[in-house]
Amino acid sequence: MSTRTEAKPRVEPSARPRAVGRRGSLTHPARTGLLLVTPAVLFVAVFVLVPLGFALVISLTNWPLIGTVEFSGVKNYTAIVSDAAFAKSVLYTLLYTVIVTGPILVLGYALAVLVRRKRRGATLLRTMFFLPFVVGLSTLSFVTVLEAQPDSGAINIVLRSLGITDGTTAWLVDGPLATGLICVLVIWGVSGLTMMLLMAGMQAIPREFYESSELDGAGWWRQEWEITIPVLRPTIAMSVIISVVGSLLAFTQFYILTRGGPGTDTTTVVQYIYNRAFVQLQLGAATALSIVLVVVVGLVTAAQFWLLREKD
Amino acid sequence: MKLKNILYVVGGGGAFLVFAIPLLWALFRSIQPNDVIVAAPDRSTFFQLTWDNFRTLIEGPGNLMRAVGNSLVVAVSTAVLTAVLATFAGYGFARFRFRSGPLLFALVVVSMMIPFQAILTPLYLEMNVLRLTDSLLGLVLFYTTVNLPFGVFVMRNSFSSVPVELEDSAHVDGCGTLRMIGSVLRPLVTPGAATVALYAFLAAWTEFLGALTFLTKDELYTLPVALVNVQAGAYGEVNFGSLVAGSVIAMIPCIVLYVGLQRFYVTGLATGAVKG
Amino acid sequence: MLTRRKFLGLTAAASAAAAVPGCSSVLPEPDVQAAGFGQDATGTVQVWCRAATQTGLTDLVKKFNASQDRLTVELTPVLDAQYVTKLATAIRGRSVPDLVDIDDINSMLFIYRDAFTDLTEPLQSLDFRDKLSPGHLRLATKDDRAFGVPYLADNSMFWFNTELCDRAEVDPDEAIKSFDNLIDAARKLRKLGDDIYAWSFPANSPGALGFVVQPMIWAADTDLIKGPVGAQSGDIVGNDVVQQMLELHRQLWVDGLVPRANFSDDASRWGSDFRAGKIGIFPSNYAVVVSSSDEAFQKKVAPKLLSGPNGGAAFFDGGDNMCIPRGAQNASGAWEFVRFALDLPQQIDLPAGGYTPVRSDAATPEFAKKFPLATLPLERISEGYAPTTLSYNLLYNQPDGPWLQMFRRAVFDGELEAAMTEAQSNFDRILAQGQA
Repeated sequence: MSTRTEAKPRVEPSARPRAVGRRGSLTHPARTGLLLVTPAVLFVAVFVLVPLGFALVISLTNWPLIGTVEFSGVKNYTAIVSDAAFAKSVLYTLLYTVIVTGPILVLGYALAVLVRRKRRGATLLRTMFFLPFVVGLSTLSFVTVLEAQPDSGAINIVLRSLGITDGTTAWLVDGPLATGLICVLVIWGVSGLTMMLLMAGMQAIPREFYESSELDGAGWWRQEWEITIPVLRPTIAMSVIISVVGSLLAFTQFYILTRGGPGTDTTTVVQYIYNRAFVQLQLGAATALSIVLVVVVGLVTAAQFWLLREKD
Repeated sequence: MKLKNILYVVGGGGAFLVFAIPLLWALFRSIQPNDVIVAAPDRSTFFQLTWDNFRTLIEGPGNLMRAVGNSLVVAVSTAVLTAVLATFAGYGFARFRFRSGPLLFALVVVSMMIPFQAILTPLYLEMNVLRLTDSLLGLVLFYTTVNLPFGVFVMRNSFSSVPVELEDSAHVDGCGTLRMIGSVLRPLVTPGAATVALYAFLAAWTEFLGALTFLTKDELYTLPVALVNVQAGAYGEVNFGSLVAGSVIAMIPCIVLYVGLQRFYVTGLATGAVKG
Repeated sequence: MLTRRKFLGLTAAASAAAAVPGCSSVLPEPDVQAAGFGQDATGTVQVWCRAATQTGLTDLVKKFNASQDRLTVELTPVLDAQYVTKLATAIRGRSVPDLVDIDDINSMLFIYRDAFTDLTEPLQSLDFRDKLSPGHLRLATKDDRAFGVPYLADNSMFWFNTELCDRAEVDPDEAIKSFDNLIDAARKLRKLGDDIYAWSFPANSPGALGFVVQPMIWAADTDLIKGPVGAQSGDIVGNDVVQQMLELHRQLWVDGLVPRANFSDDASRWGSDFRAGKIGIFPSNYAVVVSSSDEAFQKKVAPKLLSGPNGGAAFFDGGDNMCIPRGAQNASGAWEFVRFALDLPQQIDLPAGGYTPVRSDAATPEFAKKFPLATLPLERISEGYAPTTLSYNLLYNQPDGPWLQMFRRAVFDGELEAAMTEAQSNFDRILAQGQA
C-alpha cells in the first residue's frame, strides 16, 4: 500500500465534484486515513468478528461445562429443528414483534405530528416524549416490577379505584397479562425514538411540496397521506427496521419483569439462547442457535429493506 | 384554525401527562417508606414520605452507591472512547482514500447488523482468555465496540458535510491531521461527536445483558445489575424501596444529560438519519 | 491491513486456541497427604463464596485473618446464579481459587468431573469427623471418597405457631403423624378467622418450594430421582408418595386453607405472613422464621421435622460445602481455613447469621440456651437429606424447570396425572443431558 501509486479514480457514492481522484492526496494521505480508521476497525474485528468466527467453531462442537471439547459436526444445528422450546420462543418473539411494531410507528408518527412545528411548548413536549427512551428500558422495567405487584402496585390501585378489577391481579405471573403489560411498556417507552426520527424527516420537507395541494384546498389528512408519508418513506422504513430488529432481539424487559416465566410463557429467543448457554451450560447448542439468530435477523432486515424500498 | 389549536392543546397536553405521570410517580414512590410501597394502599400512610430508601441504598448491603460509581466510570469512559474513535474513523472514511477503505467501512457497518446477544457466549470466552471479564475496562471496551458502528456512521456523515476548502486552506498553513480535527474541524463536527458521546453514555449507563454476563465480582457490578440483585433478593428480602430509589438514581444522569445537551442530540439524530 | 486472508487467519487461531484447553481438562491435584498439610501454611488464600451466604463468610474471614498472621484470606462473593459458570470457566482457564464455598447441591457437578481435591485423608484426621452432617457429606462423596466438607447448614422444618395451635386445639406432634392429620389440623386452624390461614407455601419460587416440600417425600423413604449419579432417571409416575404430596397441596389450595397470594408468591417476602401471626403451619427455615422476627414472636413458634403421608421425618440439608479445586495454589492454607470454619466456636455462632451448624456436637447446653430454636436439626442430624445429582439446579431451581411446572399444574390446575407424566419425561430428559 503506497501513497504515490496512481490508480483509476474510484467513484464513491458520496463523492463530491472535487473528489480526490487518486488514492491519497497531499492533504489526505492514504496512510493517515488508514491510521485513523484502524482503532475502530480493530475494535470491531476483535470484539465482533472474531467472536462470530469463534461462534461458528463452537457451534460445531460439544462444549461441556467441564471436560474435553469434542467435535460434533452439524449435530447442534440438526437438533434445532426438533427443539420445541426454541420454536416456542421464536413464535413468542414474532408475536411480540407483530403486536408492538404497528403501535410504535403510529404513536411515534402522531407524536411527531404534534411537535414538528415551532409552536409554543413544542420543545417541552418533544423533551417529555423522548424522556422515557432516554431513561432506558432497563430502568423503566425495574419501576414496572414494583407497580405490577398485586394489591400494592400502582397499576392495580388505579384499576381498583376505577372499579375495573379488584386490584389483585398478579400481572407478572400470567403469560398473556405479562405480555400485554410489556407491550404497553415498550410502546410507551420506545415510540419517542420513532418520533424523533420521523420529526427530523418531516422538518426536512420543503414547504413548496404542500403549496399546490393547499391551493386545491386539501385538508390535513389528505396532505399527510399524499405528500408527507410518501416523501417520508425512507425514514419510516428506517424506523420500522430499527424497531423490528429491536423487538426480535428483546431481552432486558422480559428478563427483569418475568425472567421468561411463568414456565417459558414469556421467553424470547435471546432469553432462550441465554438460558441454554448460561443456565443449562450447553455452549455448543447455544452458539448454533445464535448463528441461526444472526442469519434470521439479517434475512428479516434484508427483506424489510427490499419491501420498503423506493418503488419509483 | 381554531380546531387545530384545540387539538394541539388537548392532544399535546394529554400526551404530556401520559408520558410525565409514570416518571413523576416513580419519583414519588422512591420517597415512600418500603412498608407502604409493598402494602395495599392505605390513606393514612400513603403520604408519609421519607428519605429512608435512599439512605438504605447508600448504607445498606449491596453497596449500591459503588454500583452507581462503577456505572459512571464505565459510561463516561465509553462515551469518551467511542466519540474519539468514531471521530477518527469517521474522518478517515469521509475524507481519505485508501485501498481497503470501502471494505473496512462495510465491515464496520455490517457489524451493526450483528446483534451482540448472538455472539455473547463466544465473546465471553474470548474476553476470559484476554482477562477482560470481571473488569470494568473489559466492559468499556465492549460497550465502545457496540456503539462504534453507529458512531462511525454519524461522524462520517458529519465530516462529509464539511467543505473541503476548509481543510485545503488549513493544510496550506501547515496543519497536521490532529490539529485539523482538533481545532479546524472541531466546531463543525462537535454536534456529531456530542451526539455519539451522548448515545454511548446512555447505552452504557442502562445496558444490562453484557454487564450481567461479563461481571461476576460483587464490587464491579454496574447499576442495572445491582438493581437486578436487589430485585432477586440476593441481599436478603427484596427491598422494593431500594429498587425504586435505585431506579430514580439511574434516571437522573440520563435526564440531566439529555435535557442539558438537547441541542446536539436532536441535530445529531437528524444528521445521521436523514442524510444517511 | 485487514484482508480476508487475515480474518480467516484470526479465526483459525481462535479455533486452535479453543481446541487447546480440550487437550487435558483435569488439573493437577494438590498433595493433601504431604507432611504439614494444613499447618503452618503461609500466603494468601483465595476463597469464593455464594452471595446468599455472604455475610456469614465475610465475618468468618475477618475472624480468621485476625486470629493469625501467617495467612490472609481474600474473599470473592459470587452471585448464586453465576457461580457454576464462573467456576467452570475458571477451571477451563486453569486459574482456580484455593477454596470454594459452594452450594452443597452443586458439589457433585464438579466432583463427577474430577474438578475437586480428594479430602478423605485430611477429613479422617478430624476428631469430630463422625459428628458432621451425613447429608452434606453424602453430597460430596464419590466412590466412598470425600471431595468436600460441610460448612454451614440451611434446613427446612415445619414451624408451628403455638399460640394459634392452642386456640384451635391442634397438637403439632399429632398433626405431623400423617397427611390426613395435617389436613385436619389445617381445617381447624383455618376456622380461627377470615384472615388466619392454616398454611403458606411459595408456589412461584421453585427453589424455596423444593426446599420445603421435597422432605415430605423423603420422609417416606423415596425421592423424585432414582439411580446412582451418572445413571439417574425420574421416579415420578407410579410413585404414590409424590402423588399424595401433590394431592395434599391441591387440597390445601382448593379448600382455601392457604392464602390466595401463594399463587404468585415468589418468596421475595417469604414469611411476612407467618411473622404477622396469620399462618398456623409454616414450612420454612430458621433464617426466615427466627432471624427475621422478635423475641416475643419467637416464643410462639415450635419447629418440627417435616413428615410424609404416614409420618416419618426428614428435612432438607441445604447450605454450603467447602471444597478445594484441583489446581489450587495454596491448598494447605485453604485446609487451615476450613478447620477454623469447622471449629466449635465458629459453628456455634452460625445461628446468629441465620444458619445451622454442621456438627451435632455443637448442640452444647450453652448453644441450647442461646439458640433454643436451632437445636432440632442437630439432634436429628442423620435425618437430613438432599438429593445427589448432576442436575439439581435445572430440575428444581429454574422457573421453567419440571419441578415447578409439575407442582403448579397439579395444585392449581388440578391435572395431577398429566403433570406427573410431563414431569417424568422432563426429569428423564434433563438428567440424561447432564449425564452425557
